[in-house]
Amino acid sequence: MTKVNFLFELRDKLSGLSKEDIEERLNFYSEMIEDRMEEGLSEEDAVAAIGTTDEIAKQTIAETSFTKIAKEKLKVKKSHNTWEIVLLALGFPIWASLLVAAVAVILSLYASLWAVIISLWAVFAAFIGCAVGGIISGIIFALNSNTLTAIAMLAAALVCAGLSIFTFFGCKLATKGILLLTKKVIIAIKRFFIKKGEAK
Amino acid sequence: MDIQLKRGLLDVCVLAAIKNEASYGYKIIKDLKPYIELSESTLYTILKRLETANLLTVSTAEHGGRLRKYYHITNDGLKRIEDFKNEWQEILSIYQFVSKEDITDD
Repeated sequence: MTKVNFLFELRDKLSGLSKEDIEERLNFYSEMIEDRMEEGLSEEDAVAAIGTTDEIAKQTIAETSFTKIAKEKLKVKKSHNTWEIVLLALGFPIWASLLVAAVAVILSLYASLWAVIISLWAVFAAFIGCAVGGIISGIIFALNSNTLTAIAMLAAALVCAGLSIFTFFGCKLATKGILLLTKKVIIAIKRFFIKKGEAK
Repeated sequence: MDIQLKRGLLDVCVLAAIKNEASYGYKIIKDLKPYIELSESTLYTILKRLETANLLTVSTAEHGGRLRKYYHITNDGLKRIEDFKNEWQEILSIYQFVSKEDITDD
């Protein structure tokens, strides 16, 4: 890929950031490519050494804060013409309530995901409780010379303890999964905003 | 490696690369290569962060018919390197203490 193509592609993928920010980044990468070429690398190799535009864009977006992207988005909105603003104002009761409903739905979906996680941990806690309770009552039965009941109680306690170990790993995995998903969704939302900026 | 620790290390590495004389992006990457592999986008973020924190300043100079950015360390930047050295002296003595426990155990 030539330097010009590379910078063109990168500009396209970074749109959504502020103009000055994009310019500064492109100048930086351009200088890097030229310094490599000055050292004797071909243009092709110098560009390849920087990495793909996808990688750079992905890292940049992940590092850029939400507020920065949102600010840029608002700036873009300023370019609406008058009748668009009037329509936006008149339509406020409709789009505002729709927006609130959409946000509420998304939040409730997210909350229910966490509810599943919490209930999984509750199962884990219940197993632990049963194990501890089983051992205690087993000992009490044993002291009252109810040997058979005591053995049954202790066995049940051991089964619960075993199950609790299994559920612990399951819970841990599920919690990790949800946290990872949250991170991915946040990056996806940032990307969505940037894509929108591009369309303008 | 712990992200916070790595970030601190990278900052000081870049400062050390411009400590003796002003340097430019590609030279910094080359100078640090034997010690730490740094991608262009990572370096950009670090330079930006150091500039915002007033640990370095940026100037533009002509080079071979094009412009190149040079990074100069500030007094705060030099102080940061000194702070780092002092902190690591402490960490080093803790490290020695921890390692000694290992040997007596064996």
